[in-house]
Amino acid sequence: MNSTHKDDKSEGMAGKILPAEDGITSAIITFLKKSLEEKQLEAVMIPSKIPDTEAWTWLLLQDESLLASCNPLPPVMTVQGGKALSNVTKHGDLHEKVAAVMRPCEVQAAVELLKLKQIDLDNIYLISVDCPGAMPLQDYMADPEKTAKAFEEAFSTWGENESVRPICQICHQFSLPLPQQSAPSDNSPPKNEAKFPAADLHIGLIGGDGTNVFLIPATAKGQDLLDKLDLSAEDSMVNWESKVEEIRERKFNKRKAADAEWKAKTEGVDNLAAVFDDCINCHNCKSACPVCYCQQCYFDSQLLQFSPESYLGRAEKRGSLRFPLDTLLFHVGRMSHMALSCVSCGACEDACPMSIPVGQVFTMMGNKTQDYFAYTPGLDRNEPLPLQIFKEDEFGEVETPREGAEAPAEETEKNV
Amino acid sequence: MNGQIGVYVCECGPNIKDRIDIDKVLEDISSLENVKVAKRFPLLCSNDGKKFLEEEIVKEELTHLVVAACSPREHEQTFMTVCKQAGLNPYLFQLINIREQCAWMIPDKEQATAKAIQYIRAGIQRVAFHRPLEPKEIDSIPDVCVIGGGISGLETSLSLAGKDRRVYLVEKTDSLGGMAGKLSKLLPYQGSELSSVEAKIKQAQDNANIEIFTSSEVSDVRGFLGNFDITISSHGESSEARKIQAGAVVVATGFGLYDPGNDSQYGLGQIDNVITALEFEEMLGKDKLLLKSGKPPKSVALIHCIGRKELGYCSKVCCLYSIKFAHRLKDMSSDMDVTELYMDLCLPHKSDQAYFDEAKEKGIRFIRSGEDVFVKNKGTQIEVEYDRDGQKDSITVDMVVLAPAMVPSEGTTSLAEMLNIPLDKTGFFKEIHEILDPISTPIEGVYIAGCAVGPRNIPESIVQSQAASGKILSSLIPGKKIKPEVKVSEIREDFCTGCQTCLSICFYGAISYDPIKDVSVVNEVICRGCGSCVGSCPSGAIRSKHFTYPQLYREVLEALR
Repeated sequence: MNSTHKDDKSEGMAGKILPAEDGITSAIITFLKKSLEEKQLEAVMIPSKIPDTEAWTWLLLQDESLLASCNPLPPVMTVQGGKALSNVTKHGDLHEKVAAVMRPCEVQAAVELLKLKQIDLDNIYLISVDCPGAMPLQDYMADPEKTAKAFEEAFSTWGENESVRPICQICHQFSLPLPQQSAPSDNSPPKNEAKFPAADLHIGLIGGDGTNVFLIPATAKGQDLLDKLDLSAEDSMVNWESKVEEIRERKFNKRKAADAEWKAKTEGVDNLAAVFDDCINCHNCKSACPVCYCQQCYFDSQLLQFSPESYLGRAEKRGSLRFPLDTLLFHVGRMSHMALSCVSCGACEDACPMSIPVGQVFTMMGNKTQDYFAYTPGLDRNEPLPLQIFKEDEFGEVETPREGAEAPAEETEKNV
Repeated sequence: MNGQIGVYVCECGPNIKDRIDIDKVLEDISSLENVKVAKRFPLLCSNDGKKFLEEEIVKEELTHLVVAACSPREHEQTFMTVCKQAGLNPYLFQLINIREQCAWMIPDKEQATAKAIQYIRAGIQRVAFHRPLEPKEIDSIPDVCVIGGGISGLETSLSLAGKDRRVYLVEKTDSLGGMAGKLSKLLPYQGSELSSVEAKIKQAQDNANIEIFTSSEVSDVRGFLGNFDITISSHGESSEARKIQAGAVVVATGFGLYDPGNDSQYGLGQIDNVITALEFEEMLGKDKLLLKSGKPPKSVALIHCIGRKELGYCSKVCCLYSIKFAHRLKDMSSDMDVTELYMDLCLPHKSDQAYFDEAKEKGIRFIRSGEDVFVKNKGTQIEVEYDRDGQKDSITVDMVVLAPAMVPSEGTTSLAEMLNIPLDKTGFFKEIHEILDPISTPIEGVYIAGCAVGPRNIPESIVQSQAASGKILSSLIPGKKIKPEVKVSEIREDFCTGCQTCLSICFYGAISYDPIKDVSVVNEVICRGCGSCVGSCPSGAIRSKHFTYPQLYREVLEALR
């Protein structure tokens, strides 16, 4: 596989080498420092550890000395980067060149927000980093030191590590969307290619010998940033590419297996309700979700508050009524809103105090819905949201009855 | 809800009475919650019926009205007027179609009755959630924007401009007159002298109520009859776009000419002295009908129907102007050898036959050739090969004049998109009905005239221009108010995230974005209430005033019960 990649390698694939004798983090921080010093960038947005604590947060910084406490790949994802960046640029662009260094799923969320005009990327240099996954927040809270150590191990196993979050274990978007080079085929995982890639620059950690990292430009902006820095050129990304494809294929298959498993576990209202049984209706999943776009959530609004008589009436009709009311409806409603844009970042699952596998269920449902529209969220900035455009030949499966008079049993069951 | 709903079933003569058990319907629905009264009446749309309904609304102190009768297309307005007269807001009314959808559809009386009951129950559920809506009135703008400064545009402008009506005449090129202005002489019955076109240009220029924009194009149009916002952009670099308001738009963008292409069988651009009719007109205009060599031609072939086969339609005017050319050539020199090669002759007007007969009398040769006419170089002369009754034949001439077909003028497609009006398969603008309504478009207030609609001669174009003017004069009366759609969309600002999806969806350009509030805003005057934006909003921030979620939910729930 991947032969087309190699053939077209000369087209924008040439990256640069960043020496990393003192480790990956230090190499990336040095690169950012240099960019700030040489005024290629005016500011950087990056995760940082709050001094003397184990807490991680996002910093928008101009003072390069502050980079010392920063890490592009912290062990946990506290606030989703796409959401953090939307906080900064919702009301217009920054007028200065700012790099935002993020995990690929955070970049994808930023691109979905761009499509919903909730973010402005005009002067932002989105930099993605090969991501080994993130540790579950609750593990980190319980034992930061042990969890951070386990996270270090994830860098050597790339995808086979069982201590990272379950959603990260089945993530095949752990690396950068590349410029479009070939049409996706049916049998292999969809290639991460885009007409207008999500990130401007990607930092490749995979496939190196440990003493260097790859800086790979994906857009003209990324190329421009790279060209201005004095770094040694590297025109062969073969190691990185082939290793990424190998891991991607493995994780894609894992994801497909997980989807099948979750589908079986959530089939029908009763099973679905059982998964969300523990929900305490705190709506943390909604608040943590980077894409959940409504200004005012229907489920937080007065529209869902009825008269006591109405509740009594419903209780009478059904035998009993569970409170807080409509928790399952909340999740199903959010699912319908997020189905096409879910980037499987797992922020919802991390935020759930009851350890409900929200992210994994949403991912399964998202995959299936996105497949219907042949859409991958956050991969290509130029690809419009499926519901914003009309294609006559799209979604025929649900419009025309399938062959044979009766609907298949599978479909009927779903309509419960 | 403590409503008092009145439900009235119309017998519609035998139409409903014979096919639906109305008494059973009434029995079923009269006990429903909020239904105060349920009655039947022989013919509710009759004067007696309307009077009966009006009295019932008042007597029963109804808060909502449901009428089960015919299609809303037929009598919704009738019953809304009854409501108004009885002092009930007409939007607190729902018409249920039990005639077309039940009585006429289902032969089995029992089934038809059951379906009628279901529909009426759904309507009763819906109407309980209706809110009173108040119509608005806005001033209509009597001014008109005419696109295209050819003979049609000029005629339209001159017919419309007056003391209380301004006309904005927008012409793409730098001068008025269009194709007709390029002709050296008109046909005898068209006034024969070019001065008639020049006179119209002069009149338009002198008319203080006509503002002329040359080298300009209409770049944006939104709105509807009585209220269009139009942007006119000038081709000049420095000049700014002008925004105008008009009550109507007339599209008189004329036509272009079919280009047979350099490589074609006609040798245009390849062989000397093969020219198009328009080039021939120019030569006649300058009184310099000469060959490349500088000598006058002694023999000329006029080839008709260039492009007719490819395009699939007759351009209607070529035969006559080719005969006009022949006449003029013969008048110049009686020795001139003139041949007309045609597929079919199109001589539809009352003076045409005589004009053709005269030409024949002057010795002009008419040859009915097949489609395969080939123009070839033959020394200093030109050989024209053709098919005559299956036999190959040819003539040799000094000059060949091609009569190319009329095609839609450049920019027709983009103008159609901007105005939301359709084109037909020939690429010209499509009239609502080719025979019965030949100058109207589906957009109220947008009219089409002249060759923008398809091949026309000058008198036909003038008639169309005058017809469009007549439509406008009778519908856009200065001082008259217009009533925009009441059932429009509204955006709840608290819920709007400013994603602007609705802007790209709206067919009428009725939604704009307010960058300060970061929300989308509906222009209620332009909105037609189609509901596309409602469906497109990812946050459910938009609702249609007469198709609210509770209204539809209750109606569908009951209909499917």
